[in-house]
Amino acid sequence: MHANAAYGRALARAFGGALLFSFPLLMTMEMWSLGMAVERMRLLVFLLLSLPMLLGLSYYAGFEPTFRLKDEVLDALAAFGVGFLLSAALLAVFGVLGAHGLSLRADLGKVALCAVPGAIGALVAGKQLGEGAPSARERERAGTLGEIFLMAVGALFLAFNVAPTEEMILIAYQMAPPQTLLLMALSVLLLHVFVYRLGFPGESRRREAGGPLRTFVAFTAPGYGVALVVSLYLLWTFGRTNGVAPHEIATMTIVLAFPAALGAATARLVV
Amino acid sequence: MATTTKTRAAAKPAARRKASSPAPPPRDEVPLLEWISAAVGLVCALVAIGFVGWDAVFGVRSPPAVEVRLVEVTPTPHGFVAQIEAINHGGSPAAQVAIEGVLSGQGEPETAEATLDYIPEQSRADGGLVFEHDPRAGKLTLRAKGFADPS
Repeated sequence: MHANAAYGRALARAFGGALLFSFPLLMTMEMWSLGMAVERMRLLVFLLLSLPMLLGLSYYAGFEPTFRLKDEVLDALAAFGVGFLLSAALLAVFGVLGAHGLSLRADLGKVALCAVPGAIGALVAGKQLGEGAPSARERERAGTLGEIFLMAVGALFLAFNVAPTEEMILIAYQMAPPQTLLLMALSVLLLHVFVYRLGFPGESRRREAGGPLRTFVAFTAPGYGVALVVSLYLLWTFGRTNGVAPHEIATMTIVLAFPAALGAATARLVV
Repeated sequence: MATTTKTRAAAKPAARRKASSPAPPPRDEVPLLEWISAAVGLVCALVAIGFVGWDAVFGVRSPPAVEVRLVEVTPTPHGFVAQIEAINHGGSPAAQVAIEGVLSGQGEPETAEATLDYIPEQSRADGGLVFEHDPRAGKLTLRAKGFADPS
């Protein structure tokens, strides 16, 4: 009974985390129209990819250094449920659902799309809402692949907040090539500085072995690469790349990679 | 997820105490609530993936076909308001649907236009056209003139 009460409290915290992370998206018009308009195949791929991502996230955001598959699966599923139910409830309150006659398909698309960021928020709720930092042992657990994975989640975490908006495309149209290169340099520089120079709490594993150059090669470069890949994937999922010239796609990706790089750099803060 | 962390954290002191004893017993049970919430999550995931997947594989992909119907005409001091509903019978959504109503039979034909933001497939959107003459007295022709591909 005590365990159930504790779990209930944790579940409430998960709802809080989901709410904190997903309310900007739930109140973004593009998320609603994308939920309806996104190609179903791409939405399906997105949903199918999100489940293993949640599984990995529950492993790294979890507390214990051991890996118990049952626990992680239960956590990941519960997180998806939290995100899904929260999205459905809030979208219904906002009058978004049922706005177009009786199209269950459109409504389900909206809820499913918003459920994923909500689920990420639910999983990192412990960290977000002051459950305490993971142990040093837990932090050492993340190997190179784990670091890349966490950077990808961090990139997704921040990029998702602006990825659906029209502004990404507008900004890309407004930027001339020199500005694009400048933004790219700025992203890489910030990523490097965040990781290497600024000791954020939770970011204590600063890779100082071998000095700045080694850090750049071992962390900054892959981090920016991950940010670019995540950005391009999100733009493709949202259908922003359809029929667009390659150089414009590149510019859009670099624009979105700016928040994504910040997310990758501070992944340890949120995850 | 934070959900089990609390339970695990709660279980930790006990585990630590037990670590001093020679044979550590197996971990405590997963609380019932955890099973329930995971089951609810599984149902949500299956519903979302099942629906979207079914739609992706078997969904019909025909162009939008918008039918415009007259719902009601209300005389106001600022003209006759004809409330309309547009139904997209096609297999893909339409954005910025331009609706045109032509009222003939009372001398000069009178045209009114409206743009509906978004009509998903198999769905309905409402709007209105405003005429100077009474649409009920003449012949009113309603149609969708064009649309944009949403995304």
